[in-house]
Amino acid sequence: MQKFAILWIMLIVLLTGACSGTGTGDDPITELTHIRLPMGYIPNVQYAPFYAAVEKGFFEENGIELEFDYSYETDGVALVGANELYFSVVSGEQVPIARAEGLPIVYVMAWYEKYPIVVISKTEQNIKDPLDLVGKRVALPGPFGANYVGLRAFLGEVGLQESDIIMESVGFTQVEVLAADTSEVIVGYSANEPIQLKAQGYDLDVILVSDYIDLVSNGLITNEKTLAENPDLVERMVSATLKGIEYAVENPEEAFQFCFKYVEGLENSDQDVQFDVLKASMELYQTDPYGYSHPEAWENMQQVLMQMGLMKKEIDLEEAYTNEFSQ
Amino acid sequence: MKDFSVGIRKIGFLVLSVLGGLILWQLFTTFSQIPSFIFPKPTEVWDRLIIVIGDGTLLKHSLITLQEVVFGLLLGLSAAIVIGYLLAKSRAVERVLAPYIVASQSIPIVAIAPLLVIWLGPGIFSKILTSALIVFFPVLVNTVVGLKSVPRELYDLMRSLQASPWQRIYKLEIPAALPVFLGGLRIGATLSVIGAVVGEFVGADKGLGFLVNVGRGLYDTSLVFVAVFTIVLLSLGLYGSVIFLENRLLSWQKRNGD
Repeated sequence: MQKFAILWIMLIVLLTGACSGTGTGDDPITELTHIRLPMGYIPNVQYAPFYAAVEKGFFEENGIELEFDYSYETDGVALVGANELYFSVVSGEQVPIARAEGLPIVYVMAWYEKYPIVVISKTEQNIKDPLDLVGKRVALPGPFGANYVGLRAFLGEVGLQESDIIMESVGFTQVEVLAADTSEVIVGYSANEPIQLKAQGYDLDVILVSDYIDLVSNGLITNEKTLAENPDLVERMVSATLKGIEYAVENPEEAFQFCFKYVEGLENSDQDVQFDVLKASMELYQTDPYGYSHPEAWENMQQVLMQMGLMKKEIDLEEAYTNEFSQ
Repeated sequence: MKDFSVGIRKIGFLVLSVLGGLILWQLFTTFSQIPSFIFPKPTEVWDRLIIVIGDGTLLKHSLITLQEVVFGLLLGLSAAIVIGYLLAKSRAVERVLAPYIVASQSIPIVAIAPLLVIWLGPGIFSKILTSALIVFFPVLVNTVVGLKSVPRELYDLMRSLQASPWQRIYKLEIPAALPVFLGGLRIGATLSVIGAVVGEFVGADKGLGFLVNVGRGLYDTSLVFVAVFTIVLLSLGLYGSVIFLENRLLSWQKRNGD
């Protein structure tokens, strides 16, 4: 009878041990935190670091189960601001704009070091110098978002005004309007439009906004509540993402292969062009140290946004970002 | 006198309904403490409205959208009436065109709006065309149905009176098809605003759709509400204008009914 009782106790102890995996601090994290991450754009090879981090298990190791959400950037910011989501990938200008409107978001990790906006023209237009833009028809999606902020910051830096050019709002059709000569100049992302146009055989002149002004670029945001109450989650999220970035930089071919699982139709597209897109985007995100955003880039950004009238009031930049989690 | 008091009562109910809605909205947003970038209070929307009226922003953008809507409506109506007449009158034309017309209606306007910007440029024409495209189908269908519903005997009567083709159109087909046609116009007029706004969403730097984009981009949800309410008012205004037109043009029908 006694033996039978001991056996029972052993069985219960074994079963309890098997069911409760998170018992001691030494155990690996077994309960995953589900994170829905708005990316701000459609599935794209530019997100290879995130795909690599998932595929290599960096998020899982840090107790995170990641779900990609490809909704609009502004929706991601609003949802994080409302504490409906923990994190979102956003362009740098969104942070001061949103904070000025009372959204308690905080930038916790820089992904891109350089602002990715470029001014593109066909070589036959002979636009070699910023001042050559005077009087030209310049197409961009509209007077909002990173394209517009980048253009205005660039114009201001070279001593031009919006009225010196003819600005045309064409939606996200910049490649087509430049190819069709509807506009003489377009504004776009360095890792997108120039590569697509070059692949179609056009000779281009490309001016990088980041060569003229340092602005805060794409990165990861959370909200004040998550940062205050769950800094460990922020740390785990940032560290997994940074590992993904580092891995993708060191293993671009493998990172590109991971994209096939996430980017629908990639296998049928021109893969050389897509790999060029990935390599071009990698040139943007080699921050030193990884994840770090420069205080002067924040100052510049706020100044540009105030001049553009996109912010009603100045914000305390100390509260808008932190480099606490950079490597 | 009786009509007057009924009218007053109707307006009274309308005002009460609107006021009640606004009070509920204010109470909900105040007590739920939802941040204004998610759901602004009516008072915040009102304050924003005063600002954009004061600086002329709302009028500037509303006039652009109205211009696109009016031209879009005219273009869509003209095309729908001409093609609708041909479809109603010629079985051969109907057989050739109907598959294209029906198929064209399954194309989401949002999907082709960027192409229109590429083909027609970023100016007002692409928005006029999106508006016209969305107006076209309901008006076309009602034009065809209206013309086909004219009783055969009335055609025989016109023939016996030796009416000219123009007299047949003017004296018989237009009056007979008008009630159904105007039903289509009611829908078309409301949709025309949506068409123009969709065009503005895709690529514009003017218009109420653009104002919604700006509001969203700046997390200024009160501005989004102001723009949306203006779009609704514009649609209601157009709908009301068609009702007014209907009452004027079909007064003979009501008199006969009495």
